[in-house]
Amino acid sequence: MINELLKEGALILILASGVRLATPYLFAALGEMIGQRSGVLNLGVDGTMMLSAFTAFYVTFASGSLALGVLVGVLTGGLMGLIMAVVSVTMRAEQGISGIGLHLFGLGMSNLLFRLSLGAISTVEGFRPLSVPILSDLPVIGAVFFRHNVLVYLAFVLVPVAWVVLFRTPLGLKIRAVGENPQAADTLGVSVTGIRYLCVIIGGMMSGLAGTYLSIGLNNMYVDNITNGMGWIAVALVYFGRWHPWGVLAGSLLFSVVNALQIWVQVRGIAIPYEFAVMMPYVLTIVALAFAVRRAQQPAALSKPYERAEA
Amino acid sequence: MKLSPSRWRDTVVGILIPIGAVAGALLAGVLILVLAGVNPVKAYGPLLIGPFANLYGIAQTITKATPLLLVGLGICIGFRGGVINIGGEGQIVAGALFTTWVGLQLRSLPGIVLIPLLLLTGFIGGALWGAVPGILKARLNASEILSTIMMNLIAAQGVSFLLRGPMIDPAEIAYGTGFPQSEALTEWAWLPRVIPRTTVHLGAIIALVMAVLVYVFLWRTTIGYRVRAVGYSKDASRYAGINVARYAVLAMLLSGGLAGLAGAVEVMGIHHRLLDGVSAGYGFTGIVAGLFGKLHPIGVIPASFLFGALLVGADKMQRAVGVSPGIVYALQGLVVLFVVSSDLWVRRRSARRVEGGGEELVND
Amino acid sequence: MQKYAMFMFSVLLVAALLVACAPPTPVAPEKVRVALILPSTIDDLAWSQSMYEGVKAVQAELGEDRMEVTVTENLWNPVDAAAAIRDFAEQGYHLIIAHGAQYQNSLFEIAPDFPDTSFAYGTSFKTGDNIFAYDPQAQEGGYLLGIIAGMMTKTNKIGVVGPVEAGDAVKYNYGFVQGVASVNPDAEVSVTYTGSFGDTAGAGEMAKTHMDNGADFLTGTAQQAVGAIQAAKERGVPWLGSDMDQSVVWPDTVMAAQVYNWKEVVRRMVDARVEGKKGGEHLSLSFANGRLSLHFNDRFNIPADVKAKVETTLQAIKDGSLVVPLPSE
Repeated sequence: MINELLKEGALILILASGVRLATPYLFAALGEMIGQRSGVLNLGVDGTMMLSAFTAFYVTFASGSLALGVLVGVLTGGLMGLIMAVVSVTMRAEQGISGIGLHLFGLGMSNLLFRLSLGAISTVEGFRPLSVPILSDLPVIGAVFFRHNVLVYLAFVLVPVAWVVLFRTPLGLKIRAVGENPQAADTLGVSVTGIRYLCVIIGGMMSGLAGTYLSIGLNNMYVDNITNGMGWIAVALVYFGRWHPWGVLAGSLLFSVVNALQIWVQVRGIAIPYEFAVMMPYVLTIVALAFAVRRAQQPAALSKPYERAEA
Repeated sequence: MKLSPSRWRDTVVGILIPIGAVAGALLAGVLILVLAGVNPVKAYGPLLIGPFANLYGIAQTITKATPLLLVGLGICIGFRGGVINIGGEGQIVAGALFTTWVGLQLRSLPGIVLIPLLLLTGFIGGALWGAVPGILKARLNASEILSTIMMNLIAAQGVSFLLRGPMIDPAEIAYGTGFPQSEALTEWAWLPRVIPRTTVHLGAIIALVMAVLVYVFLWRTTIGYRVRAVGYSKDASRYAGINVARYAVLAMLLSGGLAGLAGAVEVMGIHHRLLDGVSAGYGFTGIVAGLFGKLHPIGVIPASFLFGALLVGADKMQRAVGVSPGIVYALQGLVVLFVVSSDLWVRRRSARRVEGGGEELVND
Repeated sequence: MQKYAMFMFSVLLVAALLVACAPPTPVAPEKVRVALILPSTIDDLAWSQSMYEGVKAVQAELGEDRMEVTVTENLWNPVDAAAAIRDFAEQGYHLIIAHGAQYQNSLFEIAPDFPDTSFAYGTSFKTGDNIFAYDPQAQEGGYLLGIIAGMMTKTNKIGVVGPVEAGDAVKYNYGFVQGVASVNPDAEVSVTYTGSFGDTAGAGEMAKTHMDNGADFLTGTAQQAVGAIQAAKERGVPWLGSDMDQSVVWPDTVMAAQVYNWKEVVRRMVDARVEGKKGGEHLSLSFANGRLSLHFNDRFNIPADVKAKVETTLQAIKDGSLVVPLPSE
């Protein structure tokens, strides 16, 4: 098996498949990370992804325009983020339950709207792979990273963007301040509410992109429960990445490459019970997290609603 | 405990506000129903009255509430101890697996011995499955949110493996149908039905007893006090000489154990064997029940009953008007969002009364 | 006191005799009320949808005035399904179809309380006085489709994208592998599982990996398969389907499919009630009894020798001279 794996071809295929699989996690986990950095835990990722997957698919199906599909998918995610922000920031509700409520709402609405509008599985011409000139001809790296569709590139580009915004801009400083010590940030004139709304809505939009990618970038169709629990894994990957874009990237890639590897192991007919193959990414993610050295703590104000002390 | 008039008023308001929130959610739900072309009056009848209309409705609600209560109690201990246990699904499966496996080995024991033994086995199964993330968190600072989510998925695959191989009912192989389920447990191991001809089984009473026990544990024992102290402030607890890591593991262990017990009573009271998907989402819904109950063991009792009623009523609504299953989830989501938002007004009232908030610490 | 008791007893006796001797009321053409409980949805292009369409087809045959159909979906959980089964029984439905093997316990618990109601479920073999069990012999269609793949593959690599190794999927896959081997011992069939019934994206990725590995024929089962069919479509690799003929959605991809004719099964149960049988029958779906069938997609040019081989094998299966064995045999 090892010999087979070391053949360049096999490895490239596995890595390329891992990159495709990592994309939805990357979008959703980066978005969730931004929200959590501002102090809001949003467990509604999975439901948001489903609803956006549907709206993006439907608009693409009806209009034939992929761009419009993406736009509507992102807006749907933003709207779900807005609901979460109203409930958890303005109403200061318990964030864990709010997120589960949002998830149920998204799960239900996606099924209902699908039933009302299409009612049967249909397909669209989704995003086609777009080779990046020059880069796609690079050995190994070209095939692994540069022969995907535009949404995949976008997901990976968003990693450094998130890093720059969070750690190199005044806005990022404010976000982190609100997540660590909202009282202090408030005293310094930062609008805790405003920042949290912004971050939760952006987080929702990113979940929306994740769902959009599933329906018009990867599967090119919409089916009920299209995420099959991906949103929950994306939340887990934020903890894996310890609230850092590069960590989230590492987690998403690790999880997805191992997943691609287990698929390949099965396809090659290597005799282990398939359940153990399917478990591989779950087990390895736990193991990798346990032995990661960094000891970053979660944002101090995470999941704590902020209430300005009445003077 | 004597209640002053102002406290009475708070209690009444504390009940009225969530009810108002449910009404608000259903009002918002009218939009969805109209969109789906359903007459809201026809839909809401079964939703609201169905779960209480007759003995079977109530029985269905109690059946649903039983695992929710047990998982919700586990959530109380976990969250109070500062660990966020999202691993209920996996722990239910582990408890169900342990119970079934041991139950199939000990067929000849009489019920009076077998039933307590199997309940304990289920508890241990869930506790062990919960202990893994607990230890990883305590020793290696690995987030329990991540590890519990992953452990859920691992448990599902593990049981799937056992049920198609080592534990499959030999009859399924003999007849070539191959459905992944274990052999049935001996009738000695079945929990007696509390209400005849319904699915309400002894597990409901066990769950109520556990609620009292968890209350006593958390508020009347030193260990329970320390669990809460660790959850309230790790630093202060450490300063007070409490072994923070040990209590975090303990909280996770007990939390998992209660979910495992839920798995055990589901097997012994309902299925009488192990099936794929035995956790049925209770591990997640139980979190909502626990949090709705304000993480108070006694509060979780009505919370799980009402949430059970919502689930039962929603299914009845789907059958009565033939709506898409999505409406059921969408309405549940709305109810959760509205109720959790309405909490603001409840808290404002009690905050005005408590002033300073000292009482909250002792008695919340 | 004793006299009074005797009197009451005789009155009751006479009443009972009168009831017993009353001529049987002529059976008015009963409007059959059928309730269907589905683990997934009516549009899953697999297990649940195939049954839904079967029930609807019987309704179309009998007419809506003679058959009423109520469907409830997404009830994978046996506890929720049990509540639905009891509700439907109390509402006086005549035939309650709980479409999954996981409902077995619930049915056997509830059915005795409603002796006039018929219940049905499957895949299973265990019947009761008023319980039908049905059981598709999916290995037969798997075998026939395996012959197509085995004879037509050029790369000698064939991929199977399965959900969970259980029930139907095992039977189908086992038959498929034997079918391929019967005509092309050199072909490699790689049987893989996503580990979930609903992992559409995983199934798609699995199909891509099979194709990367050189597979030029793909097959698979359950609702997740749609992800794999779509992936096959995008690379122009033919798909062999089961449960339903998915060529409705993928006319250029689904080359042939084994179709479950639930209509025949539902019709048999409805007729059995008229005969006075409320259950107790084990209804197998096989090619011999016409409850399984093979659909070819006319858009594909399947070579004549392949079609001929499939036809002769189909005849052999039908007349019993070929029995496709199961893993247990």
